[in-house]
Amino acid sequence: MNTGQSAPIVEFDRVVFSYSYTEVLHAISFTLGRGEVVGLLGPNGAGKTTTIKIMAGILAPGGGVIKVAGLPLPERAVDVKQRIGYVPETAVLFESLTGQEFLELTGRLHGVAEETLQARIYAMLETFSLLSDRSSRLDSYSKGMRQKILIAAALLHNPELILLDEPLSGLDVNAAIMIKDLIAALAAGGKTILYSSHVLDVVEKVCDRVLIIHQGKLIADGSAESLKASTHESTLEDVFRSLTGSATVDPGVARIVAAIAS
Amino acid sequence: MKPLRDWIGRLPRGPAACRLLTRMGIDPVRFWLLTDLFGQLAERRELMSHLGQNAAALRASAWVFCAMSALMTILLLLAEPRPAAYFAIFLALTGFLMTGVLFSEAGNSLVNPVEGLVLAHQPINGATYTAAKLTHLARILLFLVPALNGIPALGGLLIGAPWYFPLLLLGAAFLLGGVIALACCAVFGWLIRFVPARRLKAAGQVAEVAPWSAFMLFQNGRGLFRHVHMPHWIPTATAPRVAIGLAALAVSAWAVAMGLRCLSGDYLVRISAIAGGSSGARAKPRRSRTGDLVAWRFGGQPARAGFEFVSRMMRRDWQFRRQLIPMLPAVVGVLYMSARSWRTSPFSAGFAGAHLVPHLFGAILFFICPLLVYGSDYKGAWLFLLAPGRAIAPFARGIHAWLWLRIVVAPHLVLLAAAMWFWGVGDGALFTAYSLAVASLYLGLELRLIDGVPFGKPPEPARQSSLFMLMMAGGTAMAIAAVLQHFVLFRWHAAVLVAAVLLGAAAYLATRSSLDTFATAIRFNLGLMSQEAKVLYTEVG
Repeated sequence: MNTGQSAPIVEFDRVVFSYSYTEVLHAISFTLGRGEVVGLLGPNGAGKTTTIKIMAGILAPGGGVIKVAGLPLPERAVDVKQRIGYVPETAVLFESLTGQEFLELTGRLHGVAEETLQARIYAMLETFSLLSDRSSRLDSYSKGMRQKILIAAALLHNPELILLDEPLSGLDVNAAIMIKDLIAALAAGGKTILYSSHVLDVVEKVCDRVLIIHQGKLIADGSAESLKASTHESTLEDVFRSLTGSATVDPGVARIVAAIAS
Repeated sequence: MKPLRDWIGRLPRGPAACRLLTRMGIDPVRFWLLTDLFGQLAERRELMSHLGQNAAALRASAWVFCAMSALMTILLLLAEPRPAAYFAIFLALTGFLMTGVLFSEAGNSLVNPVEGLVLAHQPINGATYTAAKLTHLARILLFLVPALNGIPALGGLLIGAPWYFPLLLLGAAFLLGGVIALACCAVFGWLIRFVPARRLKAAGQVAEVAPWSAFMLFQNGRGLFRHVHMPHWIPTATAPRVAIGLAALAVSAWAVAMGLRCLSGDYLVRISAIAGGSSGARAKPRRSRTGDLVAWRFGGQPARAGFEFVSRMMRRDWQFRRQLIPMLPAVVGVLYMSARSWRTSPFSAGFAGAHLVPHLFGAILFFICPLLVYGSDYKGAWLFLLAPGRAIAPFARGIHAWLWLRIVVAPHLVLLAAAMWFWGVGDGALFTAYSLAVASLYLGLELRLIDGVPFGKPPEPARQSSLFMLMMAGGTAMAIAAVLQHFVLFRWHAAVLVAAVLLGAAAYLATRSSLDTFATAIRFNLGLMSQEAKVLYTEVG
């Protein structure tokens, strides 16, 4: 995999974002190099999904400078969207469309030529074992099948930057292994991947670099090995617990057990 | 015929139309993709009330409008008006009805963009997305304007109008509809530009009710403006007045243009904030004393669950609130009419507005009960599948308790104080008891209209087409009931007392029976939900 030495594909410079009057990102800065696979970690509500949505041009930041593939956001959001593939955290789909129809819609919106599109859809559906369900409405798909459709939709137009927000959610073991291999293969092909997940051992295995966000601030940026070395911890999970203060989880667990027993 | 239809269908997708769209900043390929997508989703009944009425709902509305305009045409032809007056009446009717319909539809399409969650990360510019959404309003005009003006246009020929009268009326009606559609979009454009996302849904609801409120104000507020005189600085000569009129027209056109520009600016970026925009209001974790009472008297914790669930959802479910909005101006209007003659006791010889009050409760509940099953978070109804079967009946009783305590009993306490103040203790107490019994009976009967789990179904826009007719029919029935009450019952205090006791007993029996039906409807609805797995695999194509 590339080490990200070339010009970065994503530049976040002191980015601020607020929901209503609550600031959820406090002047975050980082870059993503081409061909890098970067893990984005953080506790619930840390600002991971917000960061990804800003990068995808869905949310407009309150301050700071963002460039994706050299294009400023939010001014060039439409052009940025043409270059990214995004797998959202929640599988929101048009449920009355079939899997085939949804993928066709996505590909056509991205301007993929019809013959190429059909060939890619066929390949994706076959790879994800969805060919026999291509004519079924999405409301009949299981959570894992929907997730596969979302992943396929994100890759159809051959994007430069792939944003994955909990992509393994609901996938069976075989599909999860395939996605991990796919991430490695895409990165080897020069794609940049931002991978947000709570499954730390997967992040440790597939990512070159890890960003940890806590309470809207970037608190760690480096390879898993360098983070382990700097915090004197043996696993990424221990690094995470140490940096985000989640070592205090145990008393909370005891309180829950006591509350339901009372 | 089919080749001609195909040719007409292809016309707006031809090179000339594409060039025009491109010149307007609209990407023709994505515009037609989105237009087809929204049409397809509406026909498959997905995102109901987010995409507006589908063809079936529009056809239903068109028939209702057609019947109404035919009736009006017959009545007007009998009166033999001048063609100009006839023309103005139908144009005004078109303007009034289209304002209501288009405001609501613009709100559906623009302020509730759930599909934004799917499309926000797609490469679609704001102008293209907005144009695709607004194509829906053009569809509505194509359905409803001819339905409303077709028969009157032909009827005009029977009162001596020139041969071109039908074309003139239809053309003017389409033009007026187009202007209203653009104005509605502009209003929502301004709202989207200046109102924070978390307040946008509420602001849209206020905007939807504005035309009706303006109508009610115009109907009932003439007295308010009686003493308002035209300012002295407004010129009386024709030329300056024309100039002022033209200036006002120019400012309005500018406001509409800017509103449309606001709408199409960075709409897809805003849309995500709208879709995810919560109210921001934080609910205080407090224990309701009425909830304690309901748990004690109506069936334990499941009853409290029903009571609290309905109480919170009625306030927070925006689809429910939105469906109730068209009713509000009518309720305020009836209250205003009642209040005007409030000092007159219902036991006096003259007709008192107070006679309308018990039936007003019936009318309010008549709208609330059927709407209670529709909500924006209907997918959360799975939760009730996990509830033990024995909890359903007390849960239903808890819902009834909320409706009775909050919508019937609480206002009657206020009514009791006011009635005793104005009419004396005896008359006030008796009238309140009678009104309470009537309202409770209405609730007991109308509980049967709650057809399933509250807030457990997606909204059906087709229902709105019948709302206007229902309001007319309900108003007429209410007036008849009030007049009968005045002439038959309120001549003797003893008759009112006996009626109150009998109606109270009837209310008790009707409520008991309806609660069983309501609980059965909930169980049936839950049964249907649990059977969904059997019909999940639906082949399309």
